[in-house]
Amino acid sequence: MAVAAASNSQARRRPLPASLKVGAALLFSIVVLAALGPSLSPYDLDAMQLDVRLVAPNAQHWLGTDEFGRDVLSRVLNGAQSSLLMGFGATAVSLLFGVPLGLVAGYYRGWADETIMRAVDVMISLPPIILGLLILSVTSPSLWKTVLAVGFVYIPIITRLTRSITLEVTGEEYIQAARARVESGWYILFSEILPNAWAPIIVEAALRVTFAMLLAAALSFLGLGVQPPASDWGLMIAEARPFINQAPWIVCSAGAALCITVIAINLFGDGLREALDPRLSRRR
Amino acid sequence: MTDLALSVEGLSVSFEGDGGRVRVLHDVSMKVERGRVLGVVGESGSGKSTAALAVLGLLDKGAAIDAGKVLVGGRDLYAATDEERRQLRGGKVSLVFQDPFTTLNPAIRVGKQIAEPLMMHRSMDEAQAEAETLRLLAEVGIADPARMAASYPHQLSGGMKQRALIASALGCDPDLLILDEPTTALDVTIEAQILDLLEDLRRTRQLSILFISHNLGVVSRICDDICVLYAGRVVEQGPTDVVLSQPRHPYTKGLLASLPSLSVERQRLQPIPGRLPDTRAQLKGCIFAPRCHFAQPRCSSEIQELHTAQNGTRNRCWRSAELADTPWRAEVGEEVARRAPPSSDAPIIVDAVDVEREFRSGGVFDALTLRWNGWRPEMAYRPRVVNAVDHVSLTIREGEIVGLVGESGSGKTTLGRCMIDLVSPTGGEVRIEGQTLLSASRSRKRTLLRNAQIIFQNPDSSLNPRKTVREIVGRPLAQIGLGGAERDKRVDELLELVRLGSRYAERYPHQMSGGEKQRVGIARALATKPKFIVCDEAVSALDVSVQASILNLLVDLRDEFGLAYLFITHDLSVVSYIADRICVMKNGKLVEQGRTEDILEAPQHPYTAALLAAVPRVNQHRRAAGA
Repeated sequence: MAVAAASNSQARRRPLPASLKVGAALLFSIVVLAALGPSLSPYDLDAMQLDVRLVAPNAQHWLGTDEFGRDVLSRVLNGAQSSLLMGFGATAVSLLFGVPLGLVAGYYRGWADETIMRAVDVMISLPPIILGLLILSVTSPSLWKTVLAVGFVYIPIITRLTRSITLEVTGEEYIQAARARVESGWYILFSEILPNAWAPIIVEAALRVTFAMLLAAALSFLGLGVQPPASDWGLMIAEARPFINQAPWIVCSAGAALCITVIAINLFGDGLREALDPRLSRRR
Repeated sequence: MTDLALSVEGLSVSFEGDGGRVRVLHDVSMKVERGRVLGVVGESGSGKSTAALAVLGLLDKGAAIDAGKVLVGGRDLYAATDEERRQLRGGKVSLVFQDPFTTLNPAIRVGKQIAEPLMMHRSMDEAQAEAETLRLLAEVGIADPARMAASYPHQLSGGMKQRALIASALGCDPDLLILDEPTTALDVTIEAQILDLLEDLRRTRQLSILFISHNLGVVSRICDDICVLYAGRVVEQGPTDVVLSQPRHPYTKGLLASLPSLSVERQRLQPIPGRLPDTRAQLKGCIFAPRCHFAQPRCSSEIQELHTAQNGTRNRCWRSAELADTPWRAEVGEEVARRAPPSSDAPIIVDAVDVEREFRSGGVFDALTLRWNGWRPEMAYRPRVVNAVDHVSLTIREGEIVGLVGESGSGKTTLGRCMIDLVSPTGGEVRIEGQTLLSASRSRKRTLLRNAQIIFQNPDSSLNPRKTVREIVGRPLAQIGLGGAERDKRVDELLELVRLGSRYAERYPHQMSGGEKQRVGIARALATKPKFIVCDEAVSALDVSVQASILNLLVDLRDEFGLAYLFITHDLSVVSYIADRICVMKNGKLVEQGRTEDILEAPQHPYTAALLAAVPRVNQHRRAAGA
């Protein structure tokens, strides 16, 4: 292996991908704003000033006011917490259940696969909103229940994805090698297969966060999530929809906040996938 | 001029790579005369497939012709307009790809896929095209062309598909046929049939053929002329028998010396050390110098040009005349006498008794059948059963190398996996050192199987891409409770043992070459000090020069530790080189087994005889001079 020195340069640490840096910076500022939101906001989130209803953005109210004369900027800042919590919380729930189920179904096949996938088929055939409604309407609404319900709705998608990657990875010879030394199922699933399955799961999870925020918003709109007068981006969009012609700034502000967050998460997810994959390092 | 079907003159091609342009072909010249076959040989990365694509004008977008010309039937391919080039390609040149399994569209009937280009290029109507398709299929030796034309690709075997592809390539009545590794994916008996077919076609149609291959045996069988490529350069070219019997360039000599031969006598293989140079590196001397043990200071300072040797062949080595009769010998002073095979009273390591393995094919609902018993419907569950391994008994003793050969689908891989319990037998039992694996508990199996390990075929798939070599090789050690510094030390020892060295420990699989990965796979299998290793096509995916060094390593390890191998392969020359005993498998049964010498010299079973006859080989007298 005389010329092996050539490959040493490949082992060198490569710079982090730009998308990861930008995404992380954006996401970090959003989280900081969300955490500090209540103390940063110029007005109380439910302080109504009936003399300044539906006022366009100006020096006093940077993002204008809504139909009750509440300051939109304050409400966007205050809504960040619940929106982020919904998005990340629900995705965490769906990963927590979906990934192990997918791994088990894809690796063990047989009756485990049949049982899990048929259950998943049933869940996937119900429209998410209905499923969410079903779960939430039985009990009184609260934030953590919304998180659970939304997370639950996305379990089937994560399970299917994980299963299909697992099927592919299971065919690799290093899994055979692990079985040849009689490794435990636990080790094979989480130490051999999972590290190779992360990349697409992370991308999917980033997408799920945004969907979860939107679904949570829809549930809030239907009165099953965040309860008014508390603030949430989805709720804001829902509430301001009737005034979209008179006061587009309300919808736009909440929408823009949602949009920036979504882009930040997607950039971050994409960058993370790239940074985690040692195989991609050659091309950087 | 007109008697040349193809003439490539000083062709240089480069690709847009990550770190700037990478040149993959350097000043390549070759000629195919009408009615002759030119073989282009080289290992992976030699640029042989790029050469084929360049000749067809099918290079990717990022590629550019930097210099040189390609003349097809006297017309300059790259000076032609797009329309002219399309006509040249459709009418004069046809290409057959390596993999018959993916080249045909699975959703379209074979006949239609052959007829389509006839209608496009030769403006036939549908009926004419159909008739022509049947004629072509008959010409490539299909017994029932009509049935073949009506089939979908998945209904055909690999050999049939390759015939269909050749028929399709002949459709436009080409003067030049380009074949890119046409038989690599096929079994050896099928390969022999396809080679015969090509030979016939060449004679009856006066076809010129550009035959690209890594297999010197195949090339020596079918090609009139040969062109050896190394790192994008022609290092030697000339008539096939002269080049192979009197190789002048060290690389050609090395290739021949790496090749295990189908013979009883066993010389140690002489691999070519090192690996292909980095294509981006600026070259000051001979491209082969870093791997050549004939190299002298002048080699690394002077770029070598092609010149003609006394025997009429051309090569790129200034010492070729002086070294004309010096054979390639890489491992000087390592000529160890190979240990005699173990005696018949050596302890038994693995013992398979009447092993049987069934597979059910089809889904649950395929297996359900409904029958009427008078008026009463009866449901029955009868899955279709395929016997992959059919009552096979096999005993392997300490230090013994047993070769298991057979064609694809013969059940050899399943048998190998049964031996180490990767697949559980549905009948019979496997005993390791006299202890049965049958109904053994999990922890008992783990202990037993420390003595029986496996090495896989595909170096890209056998190592977890997310783990470093240290993690991969260290894991079996961790399993037996070895930790910390002790484990690291043992990993280093193991890497030393497979001739890699501890500097490889922190690498990821993608940072290594195929041969290096295979060595890591061997180190992992050796970690628990097993007594028996299943080598499942362990060298089949490697280039010849690398294959030779891995084979040498396996033999050395056997001699050092008294390891026993079950060496599963489709390659009879490899097995004849390494095995003490050969078992031949067909349709799940062992049809013949015996000492290697006996099998090679006097095969009893007709199937064994057919397999042996089909192996393409570089002739004995040629090898004698090469090695």
